[in-house]
Amino acid sequence: MRKSGDLFTKTDWPLFISFLLLVVLGMATIYSVAYNEEEPNLFALSEKYGKQLLWLGISAFAGILIFLIDSTIYRKVAELVYVIVLVMLVVVLFMPPINGARAWIGIGSLGIQPAEFAKISTALLLSKYISGLAVKFQTTKSVLLACLIFLVPSILVALQPDAGTLIVFSSFLFVMYREGLTFDPIILRLINSIPGFKFKATWFGSHFIPVLFGFLLLCTLTLAFSNYNFHVWFLPNQPIRGVNGILLILFILTLAILLLAWFFSIKRDRFKVLLVISLVFIITSGIALSVDAAFSGLARHQKDRIELVLGLKKDPDGKDYNRNRAMAAVGSGGAFGKGYKEASLSSLKTNHVPESETDFIFCPFAEEWGFLGSFTLVVIYLFMIIRIILIAERQRVSFNRIYAYCVAMILLYHFSINIGMNIGFAPVIGIPLPFFSYGGSSILSFSIMIIILLKLDSQRKDEFN
Amino acid sequence: MKLEQRKYIIIFFTLIVGICYTFRLFYMQVIDDSWVLRAQEIAEKRKEILPPRAVIFDRNGKKIVSNKTYYNLMVIEDNITKLDTQAFAKLIDWTPIQVRNRFKEIKSGEGIYINKTTGKRTSNYQTQRAYPFLKELTLDEITKIALHLDDFPGFYEEVTSMRSYPFSNGANILGYLNETTREEIEEDRFYKPGNNIGRSGIERYYEKELRGRKGIKYIVTSAMNNAIEPYADGKYDTVAKQAPGLKLGMDIALQEYGELLMQNKKGCIVAIEPKSGEILTMVSAPSFDPNLLVGRRNITLNYPKLAADLNKPLFPRPLQAEYPPGSIFKLVQSLIALQEGVINNNSGFPCNKEIVGCHNHPNAAGVAQAVQYSCNPYFYAVVKKIIQQKKKRNNFADAEIGLNLWHQYMNSFGLGEKLATDVTGQRAGLIPNSKYYDRIYGHNQWAFSTIRSIAIGQGEIKLTPLQMANIAVIIANNGWYITPHFVKSIGKKGPLAIYLKKNATMVDAKHFSSVIEGMRRVVNEPGGTGGAARLNDLLVCGKTGTVQNSQGQDHSVFIAFAPLENPQIAVAVFVENAGAGGTWAAPIASLIIEKYLKSTITDKEKETRVIEGVLAKTKQP
Repeated sequence: MRKSGDLFTKTDWPLFISFLLLVVLGMATIYSVAYNEEEPNLFALSEKYGKQLLWLGISAFAGILIFLIDSTIYRKVAELVYVIVLVMLVVVLFMPPINGARAWIGIGSLGIQPAEFAKISTALLLSKYISGLAVKFQTTKSVLLACLIFLVPSILVALQPDAGTLIVFSSFLFVMYREGLTFDPIILRLINSIPGFKFKATWFGSHFIPVLFGFLLLCTLTLAFSNYNFHVWFLPNQPIRGVNGILLILFILTLAILLLAWFFSIKRDRFKVLLVISLVFIITSGIALSVDAAFSGLARHQKDRIELVLGLKKDPDGKDYNRNRAMAAVGSGGAFGKGYKEASLSSLKTNHVPESETDFIFCPFAEEWGFLGSFTLVVIYLFMIIRIILIAERQRVSFNRIYAYCVAMILLYHFSINIGMNIGFAPVIGIPLPFFSYGGSSILSFSIMIIILLKLDSQRKDEFN
Repeated sequence: MKLEQRKYIIIFFTLIVGICYTFRLFYMQVIDDSWVLRAQEIAEKRKEILPPRAVIFDRNGKKIVSNKTYYNLMVIEDNITKLDTQAFAKLIDWTPIQVRNRFKEIKSGEGIYINKTTGKRTSNYQTQRAYPFLKELTLDEITKIALHLDDFPGFYEEVTSMRSYPFSNGANILGYLNETTREEIEEDRFYKPGNNIGRSGIERYYEKELRGRKGIKYIVTSAMNNAIEPYADGKYDTVAKQAPGLKLGMDIALQEYGELLMQNKKGCIVAIEPKSGEILTMVSAPSFDPNLLVGRRNITLNYPKLAADLNKPLFPRPLQAEYPPGSIFKLVQSLIALQEGVINNNSGFPCNKEIVGCHNHPNAAGVAQAVQYSCNPYFYAVVKKIIQQKKKRNNFADAEIGLNLWHQYMNSFGLGEKLATDVTGQRAGLIPNSKYYDRIYGHNQWAFSTIRSIAIGQGEIKLTPLQMANIAVIIANNGWYITPHFVKSIGKKGPLAIYLKKNATMVDAKHFSSVIEGMRRVVNEPGGTGGAARLNDLLVCGKTGTVQNSQGQDHSVFIAFAPLENPQIAVAVFVENAGAGGTWAAPIASLIIEKYLKSTITDKEKETRVIEGVLAKTKQP
């Protein structure tokens, strides 16, 4: 046990204050959204703000508990917690569905969502596993095992179904990237089976995050241009279908790169380099073609959904109802907002924006405080995420660092997807805005996540291993 | 690259997201205004409140058109919970099948919206919207229902206002209201489906003056379309404002009396105050109670019956019926001849019955006597002198010049063209000119002898009763008239500017005295044809007419003004199929004059005879 004075100086105050700030702003927004004139008491348990405050109380209690327990415990219990949460994720699949998803254990407002806690348990176990790995001697097994740790809970979550949390689990890829995990063992096995190839390492295997985003970008572009016809000067009367146009661009790019590579590569490597570039061209073209084929093979309603997100189609009062209402609420906030409790679209009373106290809580905030408020909120989240990355980098223990990265990336995902769908950048994916959204499991799990991090950080100098 | 440096890639990525979002938010919230409009579209509802229509008063300030409160039983389907159709049907005195059909009717009545791109058909009907389930209920009807409405969530009452006529007179003139058509809504954004618009008469002519100013309330509504609160505390709301009342020149008591006199007859009475041109009375017989055409329920029920009636009660005869004027036309002919100098006051022509039939009377030695005796051969001679002034050697060409000159005179009397009266649905009548006859006979193929029946107001000549009354006005005024009009004042603004302007005829005032003398004699001297219009202490000047009718009995016509000195009232009475002008039209005119000027009737016998006279049977198909 340590003295309280010690605790005070060792806590990372910038992170703690930004955390508190978000909790207070979130609470104020819930009070405004769910405000009931007949029950204005903040502590009224019949109202959503009363319930949220109760959960905040529980979170505070959990936080104090975490601060009292020595931080070494998390490494010790990581497997146990992981298994318990997995069991809960299985149990939850046998519960009666609420709003079409089997996500809740328990009844009504007292229920909890194991999926929210699965993020913590996975983060802990992944931290423990990766911290025990020798980065320089990775095998196919070690990479697959790391993936398995987050794939198992994500598959269980997908069965609920909860697409949002499923996507959030991919945030652990960022952590693996930072920790130098590489898919090389797998890729090399495949690529070296091609005669003439003898690689020791590939750029793709270790830099899978840029590769992943390159892949996503290519997919998005292919979809965006799927219904578009290119016109080129040398074929004046012959429009080129979207995907062929993209192939053409890829081809021209590849030719250019090949030419450059011819002049600037060392003679010894020339053949290899040209081969790799050709291979990349073949793979990217294959991806573009298969995405296009898959897209045309989709059912109409699935196509609609993709086209709505890409802005190729408009259906503001039908399939795009939620996003359109949300964007109208955010956009109508103006520079300085409509004023506290003056949200005319996103209050629960008018209810134009559905789920405005949970997944769409950014709406009432942006509507009430305008650009001033929403910009402030973006800044606080960015500050928080970057602060956690900096905290991560100052850890002496890799477990702590990896855990911190997990937290940062989970927050980044939640932040980007949640606000993204409020401003038309992302499709409607139901995940909460951390510390803001109404919901006990969400606020409790995010609080625990941050407070464990604060606790680990406060004890960073005690431990050596 | 060291693994540690990968943090920069991650931080860079985080910052990129943050910067993109910031720019996007800045664009959405600060630069792009379209989301503000979209939000208004979504959350704010404009609720328009129609004021009651302006009230219409008669010249003595009596309300003749006012408003009555009615109630609609509204329904919002989303708010209905477990409707007990049986009980509800019982409450409104319907069968359950009727109730179900009414729901279907409301839904189908809203039409279908077809999406142009997808071709998808969706009903315009919205379950969260309010629709009138029952319309135009009276206080009694709604009270009975309202007591139990708590048992039927989703239904509620709404107040509306409709026209009400305390006097059941003047239906043809006042006009009626009906629901706006789609074309009218597209033409004027003031109207919404279900709003009423003036469909005929004064209601239509003064639609914009009567409808008032709409009130607009901006309300913040929920996704379920429930009103939440006034937008911006009602800062942008406007209050509905009823338009100021219209004051008519009509004397409703006189109108009522006129309609009583004309009961069981076909025809009309038009009375005008000569000095002002205000129409005191305009009776179209047969008529109907204007309350029969108030509201959709009544119109649906009564309009077909009225339209099918063979006596045409919906037909506003004083404005639209075009009759040959008969002998009253001789007054105008005299005036034109005097002005043209083709005769003088003392010109005499023999009553030569070989030219045209006449009744037995001494030869007329002057205009006054000719009018008094209504001598047909005399006016043949006079009109021949007008038409054939020997300005050209060719008889035909001479007639053409003469007729066109005569036509100009007629136009200056407001004949052959529409008067600018403030009422819709007027006809112009017919005064032929040379082109008209050229069409019939060919150019230079006709002369006075061909068209001579115009001399005595027969043949092609057609006048509306309003134009006939206006002739009496012109004579009473010695040569000018103010366009006959109904509205004395719009609020306190007075009448429209055109109703202050004196229209001069082409005949000088000095030529009127002998015609007026003739009219005096028609009524007040033995041998006059209009003795039935004589009053004891009032000098009535008049002229009878008997319009030959090939289809049945002659029409009886009489125009008059009184008193001789400083005329206060000019009247035209036209009674279809009633025989000679002196028998029915003249006594009716005198009763109107006496009623207006003295308010009591001295000759009760005359009154009783007129009221009880049955000249037209009600013919229902």
